Amino acid sequence: MILLLVLLFDFYLLAADSGSIISESQTEHQLPDTLMVIPFVVLLLMIATGPLFYKHFWEHHYPKIAISLGVVTVIYYLIFLKNTYTLLHTLAEYLSFIALLSSLFVASGGILIKVDKKSTPLLNVLFLAFGAIISNVIGTTGASMLLIRPFIKINRDRIKPYHIIFFIFIVSNIGGALTPIGDPPLFLGFLRGVPFFWVIENVWFIWIPAMVLILGVFFIIDSFNKENKETDIEQTYSGKIEFKGLKNLVYLAIIIISVFIDPAVLSFVPSLSPLPIGIREIIMFSVVYISFKTADKDVLKANEFDFEPIKEVAYLFVGIFATMIPALQLIAHEASVLRDELNAGIFYWATGILSGLLDNAPTYLNFLSAAMGKYGLDINIKSEVQEFVIHDEIYLQAISVAAVFFGAITYIGNGPNFMVKSICERAGINMPSFFTYIFRYSIIILIPIFTIIWYIFFLGKG
Amino acid sequence: MKTLDEIIKNKIGGMYYGNRLIVPFHAHFLKVVIEKEIITDFSPSSKGISVIEEDDFTSLYFLDYDDLKSSLSEYESIKLVVVEKGNDIFNFKNHRKIAVYLEEKHIARIEETDADILFIE
Repeated sequence: MILLLVLLFDFYLLAADSGSIISESQTEHQLPDTLMVIPFVVLLLMIATGPLFYKHFWEHHYPKIAISLGVVTVIYYLIFLKNTYTLLHTLAEYLSFIALLSSLFVASGGILIKVDKKSTPLLNVLFLAFGAIISNVIGTTGASMLLIRPFIKINRDRIKPYHIIFFIFIVSNIGGALTPIGDPPLFLGFLRGVPFFWVIENVWFIWIPAMVLILGVFFIIDSFNKENKETDIEQTYSGKIEFKGLKNLVYLAIIIISVFIDPAVLSFVPSLSPLPIGIREIIMFSVVYISFKTADKDVLKANEFDFEPIKEVAYLFVGIFATMIPALQLIAHEASVLRDELNAGIFYWATGILSGLLDNAPTYLNFLSAAMGKYGLDINIKSEVQEFVIHDEIYLQAISVAAVFFGAITYIGNGPNFMVKSICERAGINMPSFFTYIFRYSIIILIPIFTIIWYIFFLGKG
Repeated sequence: MKTLDEIIKNKIGGMYYGNRLIVPFHAHFLKVVIEKEIITDFSPSSKGISVIEEDDFTSLYFLDYDDLKSSLSEYESIKLVVVEKGNDIFNFKNHRKIAVYLEEKHIARIEETDADILFIE
């Protein structure tokens, strides 16, 4: 934490020293050495192997490891590339990311939903479909935090890891592909000039078959689950749905509204540059404090509220955001070099796979930039983004769908994935390891469905 | 030795010191969840927990922890699935879900988990 504060202070001094972030923004910077991808690969490998092979060491030292690897990249950019702009930009993105996640986490942690209904495959399908829709209104993070506990409670007598995995697939990721609020990459696109309703108008006919296929697979698997751990205990269900802590819905609404409080969306909103945060982040961090202080203590107790899941995400992602800078820059460079050879299918798979392994928001922007480059358009100019949207929607469709959908293929593909995993483990559910998640669930269930999507909508196009 | 029912009804607490939790009952432990740690190995070679039964109480040493209190938040509990000694372990009705909250002055408050608490056996 101290290291992070030191870095923040250093960044501030550097920004102040160099004038403003924006003045530097258009400057071309030297590409990093390919070897600088190593800290990112090491961090990914440790996230994957730590909980499996050196659990004790990992659980005690992962904050130091994530920050140390991030510092290697930061020092390289500061001393060797003298590129403060990229670092500041990444810091701003990280703070924005963690402000949204932490505020949604704390505000939804003060809401208790009790669903006293008997778990059936059909009820679960309806619940997940509802979660998918609501994730477009309160974001995949908000929907995940709000619904994971009632979902576990409904299924408490027959819960298996696949229930949670499908929850991550549908509510934490794929569901949120219809609006810019749904998932961070789409929001970044919106800030750059993609019209708010473009996504739903151009993605719904891809979203629906994807949802139907995934929910269909879930329904079949869930129908085979006849287990009831307390078979000899007569269960009675009132069928009631109860809510507690509803005042926190106001905080959720504030968070959602504050998403739009950005100088790029509303011209009257002041920019706080060179500070790496804006008014939006200040509002979100304020919600963290106020919603926790005013929350119903009984609800916090029932939810066993703890900051640890968000701390885990904050530490791991500070390392991920920093160490992935070279990887993203190298990918952006390669994409721009090869842009004339890239078709919609390649954009779909490349954006998708990299979104699963890196953060999906910058991956989306890099590939959007490359796609616009095919027409000589600049992602930094809003009118040119709007021109691109009208010009040819197939590339933006491929990039938008892939960035959101493929966030489900790993635990690190999207912020809420890790938080859902952490909440479930605290509830006593043994969750699959990083590799088991990929090989037993993502590759077997998601990749065939994503291949069908590619075959129908993107093969041979563009 | 008090029964679990007496302990819960009369709100009799346990204690904790460092990584040691002392509960005032004897039981077969089936599952313990502390933070993200799900412990089901209660054999003498377990790396996560050491259970030592004394005359009137049971000590649970959490081997991965130095200090239990500093690891758990105000709203977080240590959750146990236990079967009271003398009861049929194979009868699921005898499986009791217990939450232990660590309070000030080394007091461990023992409650039966209610329906609100997420705890999957």
